[in-house]
Amino acid sequence: MQIISWRAVLHDMLLYRRLIALQIRAQLQYKINVLIDIGTYLAVTVLEFGALLLFFGPFPSLLGWKIGEVALLAAIMSISFGFAEMAGAGIDNFSDTIRRGEFDRVLLRPVGAFTQVIGSDFRLRRLGRITQGTIAFVIALRLLPNLHWTAAKLLILPISIISGAVIFISILLLGATLCFWTVETTELTNMLTYGGREMLSYPITIYSQTLQRFFLFVVPIAFGSYVPTCYILERPLPFGIPSSVAFAAPLVALVFALVAGIVWSFGVNRYQSTGS
Amino acid sequence: MTLMIEAEDLCKKFRVTRRRSGLLGGLRSVVNPEVRIVPAVNDLALKVERGEIIGLIGPNGAGKSTTIKMMTGILTPTSGRVYVAGLVPMRQRRELASRIGVVFGQRTQLWWDLPLLDSLHLLRHLYRVPEERYNANLKRLRLMLDLDEFIHTPVRQLSLGQRMRGDLAAALLHDPELLYLDEPTIGLDVVAKARIREFLLSLNAEHETTILLTTHDMDDVEMLCPRMIIIDHGRKLYDGSVAEIRARFGGERMLIAVLDAAEVAALPRGDDGQPRLPSLPPGVRQVQADGPRLWLSFGSAGSSTMPAHELVAWLGTRYRLHDVTCQEPEIEDIIRRIYEEGLLLKNL
Repeated sequence: MQIISWRAVLHDMLLYRRLIALQIRAQLQYKINVLIDIGTYLAVTVLEFGALLLFFGPFPSLLGWKIGEVALLAAIMSISFGFAEMAGAGIDNFSDTIRRGEFDRVLLRPVGAFTQVIGSDFRLRRLGRITQGTIAFVIALRLLPNLHWTAAKLLILPISIISGAVIFISILLLGATLCFWTVETTELTNMLTYGGREMLSYPITIYSQTLQRFFLFVVPIAFGSYVPTCYILERPLPFGIPSSVAFAAPLVALVFALVAGIVWSFGVNRYQSTGS
Repeated sequence: MTLMIEAEDLCKKFRVTRRRSGLLGGLRSVVNPEVRIVPAVNDLALKVERGEIIGLIGPNGAGKSTTIKMMTGILTPTSGRVYVAGLVPMRQRRELASRIGVVFGQRTQLWWDLPLLDSLHLLRHLYRVPEERYNANLKRLRLMLDLDEFIHTPVRQLSLGQRMRGDLAAALLHDPELLYLDEPTIGLDVVAKARIREFLLSLNAEHETTILLTTHDMDDVEMLCPRMIIIDHGRKLYDGSVAEIRARFGGERMLIAVLDAAEVAALPRGDDGQPRLPSLPPGVRQVQADGPRLWLSFGSAGSSTMPAHELVAWLGTRYRLHDVTCQEPEIEDIIRRIYEEGLLLKNL
């Protein structure tokens, strides 16, 4: 593996900012279009959230979780996932990039493939889900009037939202890597991203222990939503894990992203030897 | 002079898994895939010197793209060696990328929804071109390629010719030493083609940029490339000048002479009832006649038979010559015969 040069990393980050700025500018050429897109997406995600709350009509609690607590969990999940969808759109579309032969162009430029791929799209319409998450967060706070906030709890919010987004983007990257072998991989990735988001909008203790372990230790999506929510609600974690592990979310996300990155560069090498 | 590209025994073999048909076949393909090895490039040797313009031609699927991909570091060769600008493309791909420019005629690298200028500006950052050099290059390219009339227009609204000019500018902002062009004139009208060719010639003359282009348009090769390479079935069939290939395979040239109508009418008739010029010089044959117009075929350029100007003089002293035109054998025809009849294969 190559030695990380901080100057190169800085350059790539500045470049990413420029690529994204350009994407945003291009999308804002059609302002009304973007607003309608965001509005539609907001409506769809609000409906999803409403369906989740409807569960609490007949049943007052879910394994001891009350409506406000599940709303908080779902809100954090929505915001985190919304950011991942917005920033990871270029990775999500990677199968198109391959199919259209545009990946050759990526390799012809003196910039890392990952920076170019993630910088190739930035989906403003995903602001709809982030807005829904924010609304859901406010509703959750109204439903939880006795929630005691501390500085640590406030700090855990941005930390886990960003970590969760990084984990989701890493899943997208793993899915994109599969495109080097076969182009029909979108369903597999969707299962982990959309499926994972859907499942983890509920407390993971409702699932089997295998699934709980999977979402905590294998594909650690729980670190972006369930773990920090338990920390905020002062609930115990399964398997006797201390709740302060919530602060390890960035580390967990980093390790997962690193694994995804290694697999990705393996895929790029494979592309270069097969040309397909 | 130093070598810009040096390739030896370059080979690329692709593993192609064939899918069997049907459900059971599909399952069998997963367990026991039927793998065929398809050679795309075979023992290719190539030396290109700095400042050359080279045309790489060959029918579709001949291995041109594979060759270019190996020379840019996109594709790993199965075996053999290749150096471009002194670098090993595969191992030093990103370093090489900042020293070469690539234009695909059928695919743009510009951002579709953005004005051309925004794309160029972004490429400056992608290639880390220092601001001063960027400004100087942009100014020069705007002038040479006449970009000003559409530099603020979104790329999707540009005509194909304009887009091509934009793509050329995009590939040249970082002063590449080597420019690969994949079908740079495909789909363009005559004026746009001429303009692109003119630009490439002056780029090569002023900046000594080495240019390697693939094309199906033999006019590109004739007007741009003193040297051309013909590839087919992954092998190099020919490496030399256009004139030489014409001399070797072009066969005969044609002189069309327009004589005085009365004079032609007085000529003796041949077996077909057409007027015939008697006692033509050796190597010259009359092929056809139509009114005062006579078609005379004579030796190919560089052969030992009578050169064109002597044939014209010969006619002029004997007849009242109104007009002459000389037809070179069409290079398109020659190339087609090379592909179809495998004219060069026996040289291997």
